[in-house]
Amino acid sequence: MSGSAPTTLLAAAAALRGGETTAAALDAGLRDAADARAGDLNCFTWRAAAADPFPGCEGGPPAGASPLWGLGGAVKANICVRGRVADCGSRLLAGWRPPYQATVVGRLREAGAHLVGATVMDEFGMGSSTEHAATGPARNPHDPTRVPGGSSGGAAAAVAAGLAWFALGSDTGGSVRQPAHCCGVAGLRPTYGRISRHGLVAFASSLDQIGPLARTVADCAAVYEAVAGHDAADATSLRAPLGAPLDAAGRSAAGLTVGVPRGGPTPADADTVSDFEASMEALRAAGVTVTDIDLPDPDIMLAAYTVIAAAEVSANLARFDGAVYGARAVGDTYADMVARTRAEGFGREVKRRILLGTYVLSAGYRDAYYERAQRARRRVAAAYAAALSACDAIATPTAPAAAFPLGDKLDDPLRMYRSDVHTVGPSLSGLPALTVPTGRDRDGLPLSLQLTGPALGEETLFTLGAAVEAARGEGGGGGP
Amino acid sequence: MTPESVIGLEVHVRLRTRTKIFCACRNAYGAPPNSLTCPVCLGLPGALPVLNKAAVELALRLGLALGCRVRLRSRFARKCYFYPDLPRNYQITQHDEPLCEGGRLEIGDREITLERIHLEDDAGRMLDRAADQCLDFNRAGAPLAEIVTRPDLRSGEEARLFLRALRRLLRALDVCDGDMEKGSLRCDANISLRPAAGAKTGPRVELKNLNTMRGVRRALDHEAARQATRLAAGRPLVPETRGWDARRGETFRMRLKEASSEYRYFPEPDLPPLVVDEDRLASIRRALPELPANRERRYVAALGLDAGAAATLCESPALAAYFEAMTRALDDASACANWVTGEVLRICRERTLNAAAFPVLPGEAAALLRRVAGGRLSLGAAKSVFASMVAEGLTAAAALARADLELIADRGALAPVVDRVLAENPDQVASWRAGKTGVADWLIGRVMAATGGRADPALVAGIVRARLADD
Repeated sequence: MSGSAPTTLLAAAAALRGGETTAAALDAGLRDAADARAGDLNCFTWRAAAADPFPGCEGGPPAGASPLWGLGGAVKANICVRGRVADCGSRLLAGWRPPYQATVVGRLREAGAHLVGATVMDEFGMGSSTEHAATGPARNPHDPTRVPGGSSGGAAAAVAAGLAWFALGSDTGGSVRQPAHCCGVAGLRPTYGRISRHGLVAFASSLDQIGPLARTVADCAAVYEAVAGHDAADATSLRAPLGAPLDAAGRSAAGLTVGVPRGGPTPADADTVSDFEASMEALRAAGVTVTDIDLPDPDIMLAAYTVIAAAEVSANLARFDGAVYGARAVGDTYADMVARTRAEGFGREVKRRILLGTYVLSAGYRDAYYERAQRARRRVAAAYAAALSACDAIATPTAPAAAFPLGDKLDDPLRMYRSDVHTVGPSLSGLPALTVPTGRDRDGLPLSLQLTGPALGEETLFTLGAAVEAARGEGGGGGP
Repeated sequence: MTPESVIGLEVHVRLRTRTKIFCACRNAYGAPPNSLTCPVCLGLPGALPVLNKAAVELALRLGLALGCRVRLRSRFARKCYFYPDLPRNYQITQHDEPLCEGGRLEIGDREITLERIHLEDDAGRMLDRAADQCLDFNRAGAPLAEIVTRPDLRSGEEARLFLRALRRLLRALDVCDGDMEKGSLRCDANISLRPAAGAKTGPRVELKNLNTMRGVRRALDHEAARQATRLAAGRPLVPETRGWDARRGETFRMRLKEASSEYRYFPEPDLPPLVVDEDRLASIRRALPELPANRERRYVAALGLDAGAAATLCESPALAAYFEAMTRALDDASACANWVTGEVLRICRERTLNAAAFPVLPGEAAALLRRVAGGRLSLGAAKSVFASMVAEGLTAAAALARADLELIADRGALAPVVDRVLAENPDQVASWRAGKTGVADWLIGRVMAATGGRADPALVAGIVRARLADD
């Protein structure tokens, strides 16, 4: 390979098409990088063996092939790959190999991509740092004393460090966007129902969405194009046609309107605020109109999210009883076996949410918590819809600050939950939201912008995101 | 004064779909354990339910036949509890927005009103294998319609009649085979007592797993008696769940209600609301068959059948269809009804056959009966010819020709036989002459025997009496 080795997915795809490199050579590059760094970063749950073939990728890509053809990507360890471990970051599922495959994995294979491994995550997606991973934490490639964000922290770290051309994470309240922010990569949470959840181990079903992480906005669009679209195996999957998302990343943003919360981006630290303002300047320079809009109170959104997600967790995780699959503890009776299995298998954060969810659904408390949170959710969605009637997308920071140090919030769950303060609104509203790397804070850690669009407005997000990236990004994907 | 029973039923109907309610596994009974399972019905992590439209169709057919109001937009909910046979540890059911509400079913001259019908998935089964408890998930995910009645029933017998009426409706609609022994139809009952109609009812007891028609009646009668005895003795009753021990003929406590689990229902996020199209609903309504209750009334009023025969025929749609096909070939509804409820039903039971698969076509049965009506064949002979038609698959004409059983109604052929019988029995002839006229019947019987039962009995009697009087 020449000195100008590709650093983005689309550049690698172009090199393959132009015959400048081969899939095997690119894969060897990923392996070498992973051999050098994966151990320190602790970002993989498993890695594909060097001998793993990826048939059909000899020679160059056929005409009309997906840009993913011949390229290696990773999936979060809660996305089922037939016969490979999907531990979901939990002791309870250590070594569990699903007998079936997630729809997205099938679509990656159809596109000609292959998997380099599965990535470390907070247990069942609950966390913002990967510190709640049974095999964690993963490290931030920009600073190994910092968290990579979570819960898709391993995925973001692997992409940022150049160990995979892209990754698929899952986002419930911000689990793609916040780690993308922490690691300086692009990350998309699509419209609810846009990417099939079939084969994604559930955290909170009404909020969970699979989303791509990649080094650039256009790379994200390419992965999205390969995996999105209707799937009969997911009853919540949307039928609307996909359009041309990758083309949208190359379109001019001039004439579009971006809404900014009246009063500025809060909560946010000083570096985040100035970075956000620089991004708005860049958008204006690209011909985008910036206008004021109103968003719901972030604390209300966070509270509603916490209650609804916990309620769904309490049911979704009930199946982990040790009876048919996963770890099983020894007990005198069935009930005893189940209790011990769950006591030993689940980590603290998961137990906390199960207890909380059980509580908010219980008779006598349900109206005060669960029903109230559902009403708040409907109001939040209505407020986002109203705001989006006055603009094409809403701009906020992805998170209030850059990646925090390992251990910093581990003992204070409420502070940890606040990492999601800007990301839970789109989740509750089912709207697409894109994290775009923008600049760095005073410690050299990545900062980012979050763009939220209307339902099925992914293309607008790619157009705007690419415009911000062109003005502010680091070109090669902001690698450390 | 005897207190009054107040009874409501919760009936689980296993819908006759090809596949399960939320996955593509076959919905069948009796396959080897765990052979009909997949990630969805095993509740594996990441597997998602997709609603089987056929289950909705069958539930709607049932709901419309029972006169329910159909919700055009209903919802599924999760009912959360831990149990070994429940793969996800929550059941997908419908809670506050069920598919059907209201409705009614007649039992005799009473009308039992319904609370609701909702869709849900079945659990697996625990199999006792010696010391080991094994789980079979073949049944997990089978489509169920749960029918909840209002507390309109007043006795175990009424509960049994309700279930019988429901079962024949299910069979007429072809939504469920109604076989309780296979678990296709399962019943729980709530029973409380009150001193008199309209008075306040006592604590409610739920009886679980009443899985035979007779069991339903016996368990409720036993439970009513148990509660009455306790009340009479001044001992309090408590809300509880009780089981039925058919062998000992008594109910037993399973658990107290205050210890019962709380289900923490919430809307099922993996399934969008169930939306029923009004045109589809109208076409399902148009396609409903004649309902058994209407058919039964028609048989009595228009065809003049007696109530018992009409009820028996309406018990099974195949039997009713057989009967109606016969009446198209033979204009004597009573004779056809007697034949179907007698011969056809008996043979069906002996051979555990469904009348739809009966080896003799209704038209051939009618052809045979036509000979009886025309006086050319005795009823007894017709039965034995019918047996050979069933056994050998013969038409009526062929079976008759082979058996040579047509009535001997020819005076010239019968007279010599009568003369021979009288000659062989001089003692009996003497006692007739001495005034014992009853002996004539005995002599007639001898003549019938001598002709192998083929003689026309009326003709024989005439000849015998004439000969005796002549002598």
